[in-house]
Amino acid sequence: MKKRGEILVENIFFIILNLFFLTILILFLLKQGSGAIVLEQSYAKQIALLIDSSKPGTEIHLSMGKARKLADRNGIEFDEIIKIDNNIVTVRLSEKGGYQYSFFNDVELDNPYPINEDTYRFKITGYK
Amino acid sequence: MNRILEKNKKGTNKILSIYWFAILILIAGGIFAMVYTFYNRPYDVRELEANVMANKIADCLSNKGYLEKEIFNGNFLLNEDNFLEKCNLNFNIEERWEEPQYYTKVSFYNLADMDTSIFDVANGNKNLISSCEIQKDKEYEKLAKCVERRFYSLDEENNQYLIKILSVVRKTEKNV
Repeated sequence: MKKRGEILVENIFFIILNLFFLTILILFLLKQGSGAIVLEQSYAKQIALLIDSSKPGTEIHLSMGKARKLADRNGIEFDEIIKIDNNIVTVRLSEKGGYQYSFFNDVELDNPYPINEDTYRFKITGYK
Repeated sequence: MNRILEKNKKGTNKILSIYWFAILILIAGGIFAMVYTFYNRPYDVRELEANVMANKIADCLSNKGYLEKEIFNGNFLLNEDNFLEKCNLNFNIEERWEEPQYYTKVSFYNLADMDTSIFDVANGNKNLISSCEIQKDKEYEKLAKCVERRFYSLDEENNQYLIKILSVVRKTEKNV
């Protein structure tokens, strides 16, 4: 009635391979969702839409925790990730390029800057 | 006989394992393809943008139900040249495009005749109007997004006007 060890080894090998597969899949999903390209795009569009909807005097505090983590990982200073030039927002979370999106609201803004570890401040001062 | 059955059982298990891995690879491949396609597509914010633009133009034309004096003082004071300036709009865009990616048109109607507008003003890329006409029945994501809003307003003598705002945003390359 002794069972052969061979069967146990096969089963363990099979389980390890399954776990390996699942791990790769989960890592891939996590990496895709928090990649620089995706985050740069989503923040740039979010900021442009917020500015479009704002009137002079509006002060926006935007939580950017995910951007902070990624910028730190890629060696980019947090206070340098956002630039607003004329009516174009640029978000850069990696060494490569960054993402630009324009807004149509013809307003003047204070230079955006971080007010704490993961929050950026945008202030609309007036119309041009 | 028992030995033969045992051997067959082992063989069946091995075939089942291979079959199981084939299914696993298929599922993983499917998930990979779906996720890759999902994250490689840009977020489409054009409709939101067009809605925000229409709201902003409405705010610029009318305040508390009355037409702004800078817009109407017995005569309409808007024209193609001052429209963007009066409504604080800036249609500059990223360098990748040579033509404006926005178009907007405002039409004023007298309530007595809702078919013929009494005054129109527009600005932006006129080529985008065709996108709105094509998409009346069905939407095509590669064409510009069009949003039409309408509201009523009064002038100082309490004459009523219907105001239609059409706002169009293209920016296809960044949103599709």
